[in-house]
Amino acid sequence: MNSATPLIELRNLAKTYRKGAETVEALSGIDLTIEAPAMIAVVGPSGSGKSTLLHMIGAMDRPTRGDVVVAGQDLNRLSQSELTRFRRTTVGFVFQTFNLVPNLTALENVALPMEFNGVTGAVRLQRAHTLLERFGLANRLKHYPQELSGGEMQRVAIARAIANEPPVVLADEPTGNLDSQSGRMVYELLREIARDRTVLVVTHAEELAQVADRTLHIRDGRLLEASPVTTTSR
Amino acid sequence: MGTVIFGLRNVLRNKPRLALVAVLIGIPFFLFFAMQAIGNAVSRQTAVLTRDVNTLLQLRARGSMGHVNMVGQDRILPEDVLDKVRGIGNIVDVEPYLLAMAPITPPNFVMHVGLAPTAVKRLESHGEAGNPRIVAGRDFTPEDTGKNVAIIGQGYAQWAGIKPEDMGTATLTVDATRTHPVIFAMDRPKRDLKIIGTYASGYVFGDLQLFLPIDTFRAIYGIDRGISWVFVRVDSVENVAIVAERLRATVGDVADILVPRSAAVFTATTSRTVLQLVGAAGLVAITLMAIVVFFVLVMQVRERTREIGTLKAIGAANGRIVAQFFTEAVSLSLLGGAVGLAIFLIVGDAAVSRLFALGVGPFLPSQYRPLFESLAIDTQLSAHLLALALLVAVVTAVTGGAYGVWQAIRLSPVEAMKHE
Repeated sequence: MNSATPLIELRNLAKTYRKGAETVEALSGIDLTIEAPAMIAVVGPSGSGKSTLLHMIGAMDRPTRGDVVVAGQDLNRLSQSELTRFRRTTVGFVFQTFNLVPNLTALENVALPMEFNGVTGAVRLQRAHTLLERFGLANRLKHYPQELSGGEMQRVAIARAIANEPPVVLADEPTGNLDSQSGRMVYELLREIARDRTVLVVTHAEELAQVADRTLHIRDGRLLEASPVTTTSR
Repeated sequence: MGTVIFGLRNVLRNKPRLALVAVLIGIPFFLFFAMQAIGNAVSRQTAVLTRDVNTLLQLRARGSMGHVNMVGQDRILPEDVLDKVRGIGNIVDVEPYLLAMAPITPPNFVMHVGLAPTAVKRLESHGEAGNPRIVAGRDFTPEDTGKNVAIIGQGYAQWAGIKPEDMGTATLTVDATRTHPVIFAMDRPKRDLKIIGTYASGYVFGDLQLFLPIDTFRAIYGIDRGISWVFVRVDSVENVAIVAERLRATVGDVADILVPRSAAVFTATTSRTVLQLVGAAGLVAITLMAIVVFFVLVMQVRERTREIGTLKAIGAANGRIVAQFFTEAVSLSLLGGAVGLAIFLIVGDAAVSRLFALGVGPFLPSQYRPLFESLAIDTQLSAHLLALALLVAVVTAVTGGAYGVWQAIRLSPVEAMKHE
């Protein structure tokens, strides 16, 4: 990627949904440029379009209008298989509800995206092992999701999100289902992984927004203003 | 971890649920196996009944008993009827008979029956029933053709004073000039016949007959051409009606054709109705099996749409998701099939009999119900049947799995993850 090329660039991005006879405008005319790397909080009231924004950037859904360019890839121009590869290599997703595969151990959950990416068995297990150790879960490798606490599940999910070392991690209310102590641990991890990648975090949590390098405010599908990148908090 | 292993592990992840699904799928498999077992048992039973059923048609000259010396009943069939009858399909035996009456102590009379030495000795008035068996002396052999020999019924022998120990030495004189109110005289010389055997039939009148080679009969009564009766044996009970129809078309102008009513009734009811009923039940069972497998697997996949969304979100290709869910669907279907088979093998005998009594028996024609109430159910299954069950299991599993997965993977990851 050329250093002059922004990591994420949204141009006149819009997304509308049909809800019965009603048309809901989830995003409207979003223009945004994000240079790598940074931790960016996306804040706004419920239903303002925060999650939709993340979904557009992560190729989880198609925009109704506008362009999404991530790591030099114009998502509108990618085929289904290219979008699959994009989700596998360019972005990692962290969900509020963790979304771990229930019949896989913590180690296997983290190794799964690497398997999709063609990483050989021994290498991916070693890498997954290293990641989980780094996130304080060395004693939980063989545990299934239902045997883990919420905080532990979210740490496994974060490890899974960065398993293929994507340049962008998208976290959708990652602390929404956690107690404050677990939430703090997750912030710290997100901050840690944001050192060498861009992490966009949708959050209601003021504490998380305060430690972000930049905060995007969204209301009624529109980007109101963006706080500048602050390096002091890093 | 390979896709197949991943799929198999998914199957095993919730054992109580797995057991429920396996039983749900297993029940229609069991029903299918049960219906096949019932079908096989009914077929065997039908084969036994068919073997014992009369498939014998009788031809006589139109409006005549065909007895060569009976007053008003002496018209016989023309000789060419035999060739015409032999040209009709589905006929396995054609046996010509010549019959004459002979007076004994008034007002009684006996029957003289001319037939090929190797033909079945049928009793006049009783047809196939009560075929005589030799109780003294010997039976005819092909070498007896044209010879002056006869086999006598034990009642006739008693009247004639012929004892069992006299076989081969006793003689009986046939005198065609003797009359009776219903027997007219034929101007023919007397002839002595050597009695080589005595038969018993279990019928009073049945034991008052004399069997002799047909050529000998012709010589005694001076009947050079023509036949009293022709017995026609049809190859199967199902073909009795069609053969009767062909006979009517071919020789109906000169012959009355007597069709055994029992055969017609049997054909129309048991072999057709029961087998069709069981066939329909088998079809219903296999359809039910396909529907249950299909919908269970569709539901299995649909309720995991969110998981499919997650897999897509973390970079799984559609092909990989399809392969994983196909593995699961086929494994579940095969497991259900194995459960159905196990139920069938363990409780098949008793359960299938009960199932037949409740499910098929009530629809049987009342006169045949007792015949099928003690069906011998065999829990042996043929390789063909197992292959068919396997094929249906795999095809419906793949179809059900494919339909469910297709509905999920055509969604975007977000839509799939929001799926309830």
